[in-house]
Amino acid sequence: MSDVSKILNLFRSELITVNVGPRSFAEVLEKQGYEAVQVDWKPAAGGDKHMQELLEYLGGWE
Amino acid sequence: MTVGEKVAAANRKVLDIMTKARLVWTDVKPAIEAVPGMERNLILIPGPPIEPEDLPVPLKTSVCGAAIHDGLAKSMEEAWEMVLKREIRIGSSQNYNCGNAASSVMSSSMPVFVVEDKTSGGTGYCVPHPGSNPRVLRWGIYGDDVEENLSFIRGDYAAVLGEAVRKSGGIDLIRILSRTAGMGDENHNRQPAASMALALELVPYLLDVDHPARDRVIKEVCANDRFFLHVMMAGVEAVMQSCKKVPYSTVMVGMGGNGIEFGIQIAGTGNRWYTTEAPKISGIFLKPTTTEADLLGYLGDSCVTEVWGLGGMSAIAGPSYLRMTGGTFRDAQERTEKARQVSLGEHTFAPVPWDDYRGFPVGVDVRKVVGMNVLPISHGGSALKTGGQAGAGAAELPMVCFREAVEGLVEEIKKLEGE
Repeated sequence: MSDVSKILNLFRSELITVNVGPRSFAEVLEKQGYEAVQVDWKPAAGGDKHMQELLEYLGGWE
Repeated sequence: MTVGEKVAAANRKVLDIMTKARLVWTDVKPAIEAVPGMERNLILIPGPPIEPEDLPVPLKTSVCGAAIHDGLAKSMEEAWEMVLKREIRIGSSQNYNCGNAASSVMSSSMPVFVVEDKTSGGTGYCVPHPGSNPRVLRWGIYGDDVEENLSFIRGDYAAVLGEAVRKSGGIDLIRILSRTAGMGDENHNRQPAASMALALELVPYLLDVDHPARDRVIKEVCANDRFFLHVMMAGVEAVMQSCKKVPYSTVMVGMGGNGIEFGIQIAGTGNRWYTTEAPKISGIFLKPTTTEADLLGYLGDSCVTEVWGLGGMSAIAGPSYLRMTGGTFRDAQERTEKARQVSLGEHTFAPVPWDDYRGFPVGVDVRKVVGMNVLPISHGGSALKTGGQAGAGAAELPMVCFREAVEGLVEEIKKLEGE
């Protein structure tokens, strides 16, 4: 038998959501009384695949 | 070496040129003698290239006024006819290592500040700032009074100033920026400290000039708290002349607006422009009756200061400019933070005391702007569609230009790589 107590403890503890993506997802949770942390993240080059390829060709930007 | 490694090496070189520049104001000369490629019938204007038919009203007035000032035409109507027939040519200042702020233009007889980068060997040029009078060619206004001032600047003013600068053996702009660190200048729209420090160095030599107009010139220089801007713009152009010789680099080396279009240049493609519709400057208006509908798009090359890390890039250095244009200290911090995210380095000559003594971010990498979706901000004065200054504030640089620049550089590199 595997020890499921750790995972059960997680579900029984207070829920804090880390949201990566549109801020509105976090806002909906907050309206329902849950705590949410918004990650400041945007898709590379606004999600434009062609631009991502060109940037890759130029060695990236990190 | 991979393309990525070549880009990284080129960017290190450009950053080196930008951060190690030793800018020295050495002379004041007529444009025709100083500026390579200047011609008698050529008038240089701000921003990217534009067809004469598309010129906005203020630039049309400035070009025609300059044509009369230079003796190319006798009236505004005759000048405009000659421009339309291409008998008078217009050119993009930054393609000639020159900068023209707001609606300023440069004709062949106008005096220019000559600034040399003693480290990289580049030289840049800019016409003098005409002072605080609102009726100036710099804001697209021409008339008898404007002509009188232009003639004074071309004559006595240039003669006295030129002699003083030559007597000084050259004035070090980096020293002025260092001395005025922490004095509240962001050095695009606000430079009273740098202008005073420059006057401090210049006046002893001006007093040694034997000329009947000497005292008037001293008064004009000392009463103009924007004086340093045009000297600095010539300095930035000196740096960028050297940066434009570095292939493979993704660093921004030019930008400006002609009121209709706004554009940027990057080191790896030299004088090629990447353009889009000129953004409007938001901030304050000088008159309460002005509305946004009265505004022209971004006009002028003074944002070359941002290209070298000043103005909006170093907004935190001049937070009172933010206060004046409707922003806060926090906004100033955020502007500089954004600039840091997309820049490759920092200047060391003017650390800002209230920013943990950090330097101005410099060397905007177009890959970072596009990749991270973070746009740097430029400060600027806004122009009225009909001519004259509307106000001052800031504008986010358009993303389209940066995306086009990425495309343009890849195209250029593929040619170099034989792909």
